[in-house]
Amino acid sequence: MPALSAWFVRTALLELLAGFLLGALMLATRGQALAPWAAPLLPLHIELLVLGWLANLALGVGYWILPKHATGPERGRRWPVVAAWFSLNVGVLLAGLRIAPAIGRAAELLAVILFAAHALPRVKAFGVGRGIEPGRGRR
Amino acid sequence: MPRLSRWLVRTALAWLLAALALGVALAFPTLPARWPALAAAWPVYLHLFVVGWITQLIAGVAYWMFPRVDRTTPPDDPRGWWVYATLNLGLALRAGAEPWAGTHWAGVALPLSAALQLCAAVIFVITLWPRARGR
Repeated sequence: MPALSAWFVRTALLELLAGFLLGALMLATRGQALAPWAAPLLPLHIELLVLGWLANLALGVGYWILPKHATGPERGRRWPVVAAWFSLNVGVLLAGLRIAPAIGRAAELLAVILFAAHALPRVKAFGVGRGIEPGRGRR
Repeated sequence: MPRLSRWLVRTALAWLLAALALGVALAFPTLPARWPALAAAWPVYLHLFVVGWITQLIAGVAYWMFPRVDRTTPPDDPRGWWVYATLNLGLALRAGAEPWAGTHWAGVALPLSAALQLCAAVIFVITLWPRARGR
């Protein structure tokens, strides 16, 4: 697994843990008045799990397993992916904590645009760029 | 595919079916009106999808596909069975108790469900963390 994927996956795991912790507090409070202060944290719970956990994991695994380039750096330039990681996670915090929801959502959108710009050229048939005709040879 | 992953993926599919069936029941105009507990099952519906289906499917594939710590590690991480047990027991308790929130039964079951699902997340992160490493 490339180091950048490990960043994404470990960030996803941390946000899964934080999201489950908030969820557990809110769920337990529906049964007993354990943490009534946790109810307003619902937007953060959703943001941590839907974007923090699932999107970080998807982007990290995508960077790892999508077909590599035939020439040049095998996974392309790193900076758009590093910027996507930074933008996504700043966005999750800004939107989830309601510090600046619109800026947070824009940062999440920017992360996906940056990642898509990186990943789209890697979404290709087997052998493209290596002189192997798509649909022939090894699959 | 290791045995743990097979069970996680099969159970994820079962929760997907349960979520879709509950979705059908919630969409019927007369059923939630007849059974108020069903009307209160919307959060259960969401969590069957996100926890039972998506997260459990990811866990199954991750235990299978993520690089092992070293060659001597068995493909089935025995700690992963605790993830399987606590996640599914916790989710089943939630599904059974949340529509009756406010009753004595739910007062016991919901904190227990919360603790079980949190345990599952903690063990999952502990077991996957060393396998998500760059080279």
